[in-house]
Amino acid sequence: MKRILSICSVVFLLAATLFSCVEEQDFDQYDEIEVTPTLEASMLYVEAPEDMVNSAPSNVVFTQNFNFDAFSYDAFSERVLDGTITYLVENTTSKTLSITIEFLDDQDNLLGQADNITVDPNSTSQLDVSYGDAGRSIEIIKNTSSIRVSTTNLGDTTSVSNQPDPKIVVKSSAKFRVQLK
Amino acid sequence: MNLKKLVFLGLFLASFVVNGQNKQILYDFSEIPQSAMVNPGVEIDFQWYAGIPVLSGVMLQAGSSGIAVDDIFANDGIDINDKIRDRAIYGMDIKDELSGTFQVEFLNLGFRGKNPDLFYTGGMYLEGDAIGYWFRDYAILAYEGNADRLNERFDLSHLKTRGELVNVLHFGLNKNVGDGLTIGGRAKIYSSIFDFNSTKNRGYFVTSPGENNIYVSTLEANMQLRTSGINSISDSFDDETTGSTILKRALLGGNLGLGFDLGFTYHLSDQLVVTGSLLDLGFIYHANDVKTFSLNGRNTVEGLEVILPDAFNDPDTDFWEDLVDEVEEFLPFEDDSNSYVSFRPTKLYGSIRYNFGEPVSGMANCDCGIKAGRSPSNRAKYVNGLGAQLYAINRPRGPQAALTAFYHRRFGNFMALKATYTVDKFTYSNVGLGINLQAGPVNFYAMADNLLAYRNIAASNYASFQLGLNIISWGKR
Repeated sequence: MKRILSICSVVFLLAATLFSCVEEQDFDQYDEIEVTPTLEASMLYVEAPEDMVNSAPSNVVFTQNFNFDAFSYDAFSERVLDGTITYLVENTTSKTLSITIEFLDDQDNLLGQADNITVDPNSTSQLDVSYGDAGRSIEIIKNTSSIRVSTTNLGDTTSVSNQPDPKIVVKSSAKFRVQLK
Repeated sequence: MNLKKLVFLGLFLASFVVNGQNKQILYDFSEIPQSAMVNPGVEIDFQWYAGIPVLSGVMLQAGSSGIAVDDIFANDGIDINDKIRDRAIYGMDIKDELSGTFQVEFLNLGFRGKNPDLFYTGGMYLEGDAIGYWFRDYAILAYEGNADRLNERFDLSHLKTRGELVNVLHFGLNKNVGDGLTIGGRAKIYSSIFDFNSTKNRGYFVTSPGENNIYVSTLEANMQLRTSGINSISDSFDDETTGSTILKRALLGGNLGLGFDLGFTYHLSDQLVVTGSLLDLGFIYHANDVKTFSLNGRNTVEGLEVILPDAFNDPDTDFWEDLVDEVEEFLPFEDDSNSYVSFRPTKLYGSIRYNFGEPVSGMANCDCGIKAGRSPSNRAKYVNGLGAQLYAINRPRGPQAALTAFYHRRFGNFMALKATYTVDKFTYSNVGLGINLQAGPVNFYAMADNLLAYRNIAASNYASFQLGLNIISWGKR
């Protein structure tokens, strides 16, 4: 009898194993997975001393195209959703300066509109530009191949700031959301 | 469900398999010939045995220390992205393992020599083994990015993984020394089909307020991924020669290695027995189809930096290319084909067993009895065995151990059962059951683990099964 009971219990356990349960799973949820990290990094830093500002012909301190391929890599351009570019301009010179920033495609055509930042002497100015659904077209970012930065002196060309090491500094950073899945 | 989903789910499930290689039910289950594979010094009373090719030993283990399928895919109305974030990304720890093991025996034979105290074993089996620890900081970076995480270091050492597919040819000897002691050893030739490992990574990635620009991104890396055999198999997909490529590499055409198993069984008294074994004490030398990738160095980037007026001295300067060149110079990504050595995951078993109840006459032709200590063939077996086992395996983050209590019950010579309760870092409720059936010369065994979790297998953190079919002879009666 004991043997029969033992065998029955084994059969029961094996049956329990064979007829084990799986609670309802919904693998279609896979389609709802969104992997959209937000990446942030510095973009471009330009500085020019006040004596360069003072000696600029026609008050145009400089106009320069900078090759910038970070946005055009497929890994980024095919996945970017939206984001913001932040410009921070620090002016420690004694004159008002105008900074113009333009995004260009690989044929040097202007993409979207230019950003203009006017900075008073001894002051700082910040501009945040949104791209994507809540801002300008994200296509501007996807097609950017170079960035043109122009600085124009709106003041005199003789005064000298009493700040140590006076200069105009253009800082910028990009913060973009990309879709990995 | 399309192929992409299937691949994802397959990888997902495969990546959450864990606690590989502990065969606590098979260990010291001496009615089963394959018990010699986990202790070459097990007491063997067969005259000879032969495994049915491919069916003699099939083992698959799966589980998770940190998460189960149900945690993510349960139909519970919770947004799957919240579940991934809360239960996987932040819910798992870097000590959580993601691993799995399978074994398939192609050949397993054993026979007693002219000297009845010697028993020879040999065969061949295929083993796949992989382990990866939860790469938490990589997951956070990929899932949420580095934005708004100033000064937070993403630790590159969180990537710690290894895996291999290896064919093993083995030959073993089991000797009854007398006085209740049986010892055994096994030599193994490993033929590696493919191997990868990346276990000694260091470094970090951090975004901080910049000195000049708004942010500075710093990457300090000392990382390495070593592979062998991957290219051959990858190429074989294009050439449609995958089968022959794997077969060639499995049959000594890949990278070769050498290893040993050792084990013993000793009767402290008529009823008290201790056993121990050390498995896969060996290495593989990878010199064929080797590819090693490394990233070593440190670099900080604040974007394109243009300091005027000096920057305009050369009107052809490409600041972007200069930046890329600088990163590549200070943080070179390189590959080479230098050979390397990988060590097998060595396993250690130990047990103590107390036998009691009625003695059961063995199948062997013998003058049997409880005190017939000369030969395992002559030693009568008790109906009951109760004891404890210890298991440890060498893993990339150090040894990993498990403790098992077991009860072994024999029903004449036609059936034996072994029930186990195992505690390890993954679960405290692992109850396993193994059954061995003997119908004449035909031997069948089946084992399953973590049975309590079968109430909802999707929520299980660990499950395994093992089964096999052998022909056994005890000689003429």
